Amino acid sequence: MAQQTLFEKYGGFSKVSKIVLAFYDTLLDSDEIGPFFDDIDMSRMVDHQTKFVASLLGGPASYSDKQLHQLHNHLDIRDAHFDELKDVLKETLSDHGVEPGDVDIVLQEFEQRRSQIVGSPHVD
Amino acid sequence: MSIEAINEQLLRAIGVGVALLDRASLNFHFHNDTFEEWFGAQVGVNSLPDVFEGLDVAALNAGLDESSRYTAEIKHKKKRRNMVIAVEFTAASEGEQQLVVLVCQNITRIRELESMIDSYSMMVERNTREIKREKEQVEKLLLNIMPRSVYEEFKAFGVVTPQLYDPISVLMLDFVGFTDMVASADPSVTVTELNDIYSAFDRIGEQFGCERIKTIGDAYITVAGLPDPMPDHAKAVANTAIRFIRYLERRNKSHPHQWHCRIGLASGAVVGSVVGIQKYVYDIFGPAVNLATRLQEFSEPMQISVQDDVAKTLREEFEIDSLGERDIRGFSTQEIWRLNDSKRELSPAKA
Repeated sequence: MAQQTLFEKYGGFSKVSKIVLAFYDTLLDSDEIGPFFDDIDMSRMVDHQTKFVASLLGGPASYSDKQLHQLHNHLDIRDAHFDELKDVLKETLSDHGVEPGDVDIVLQEFEQRRSQIVGSPHVD
Repeated sequence: MSIEAINEQLLRAIGVGVALLDRASLNFHFHNDTFEEWFGAQVGVNSLPDVFEGLDVAALNAGLDESSRYTAEIKHKKKRRNMVIAVEFTAASEGEQQLVVLVCQNITRIRELESMIDSYSMMVERNTREIKREKEQVEKLLLNIMPRSVYEEFKAFGVVTPQLYDPISVLMLDFVGFTDMVASADPSVTVTELNDIYSAFDRIGEQFGCERIKTIGDAYITVAGLPDPMPDHAKAVANTAIRFIRYLERRNKSHPHQWHCRIGLASGAVVGSVVGIQKYVYDIFGPAVNLATRLQEFSEPMQISVQDDVAKTLREEFEIDSLGERDIRGFSTQEIWRLNDSKRELSPAKA
């Protein structure tokens, strides 16, 4: 039998939706990462966060590395941004009762995608 | 504190944006704290069209003139959050003064939730489609190894009850010198050719209502009368057998590898069932299967040996010759027959 995903363990969409919205709120308020979303349509932004959280928790969405790269490579995302988002993710998950061990698993999943999301270093 | 003062406090603190406008100029007379929180401190200075970007002022005026009411949804960007606000205008008057009461509800969260549900349901629907496709492929695979009616039973009950089919006819085909072929030629080429031939056999058998049961290496077994009874089961396998040989003869003319087969035909009862728990195989068991195997061994290359009972049925329509009485291992001594392809000898017109 397939192993239970974190998505299932934490109550499926009804619970994960709350994580998504909290994550979305925090991101918009963040002065570090928020500006990336300045000109993004709300429904696209929500769509993106829903898929993002679902895929990290093993829910019904997954992005291939190539897709992730395509979605982010036009943005000037630095390691500092990635780290900030990682912190936001960690806090949001912890606030919603995700066990520390599981938070670590999610963060590791996230970390694995760093190279697809953070742009190659360039000289300003 | 007077009632008026309490009312004003409430109006200011309430989580709904409230404002009072001049009907003619659409300038603000009053707005509460919530309204200011959403639209900023400049609200009191600017007139309404400057605050609500994208508001259709002409439609607002028309609505107020006709029904004293107008509702709309406006988008407003606060910091970087896109707010969606449902606004309702109601015409009012205070003495000589014409006013408009404006009530604003923040429906941003509702819209965000709707977007999230859209996003999620699209993911789920896509997954559902994928699962359905996979299920169809599994079904197709299982239908390759068992008849549909058996599959339906298997799906409904999880098990298949062994079932007796009587009478049916069995066609057993075996290739001559297959082992040597595999050893001498490139085995993968041989197996690829075998696959082509089996596929052709499947199509030929299908035309006559035969159901292929299995192949074991170079042996091919197909039956008629299973799972649905068929009155002409013997004729069906005879027709199939003749066309197998025609197919191989034609194929041999254009291919470097020569394929020769022996065929045995027998009728009788068989029991059909799914065997195995993890690795299912649909198989048939019974004397007819064994007899067809033995008869096949009596055949010369590219010939068809037929059981006595079957020969009696075929006699009217097919050309058969006696091969005399033979001892058949596991069976009584009995006369066996050879089935010939009468196509070339007979004139096309039927007698």
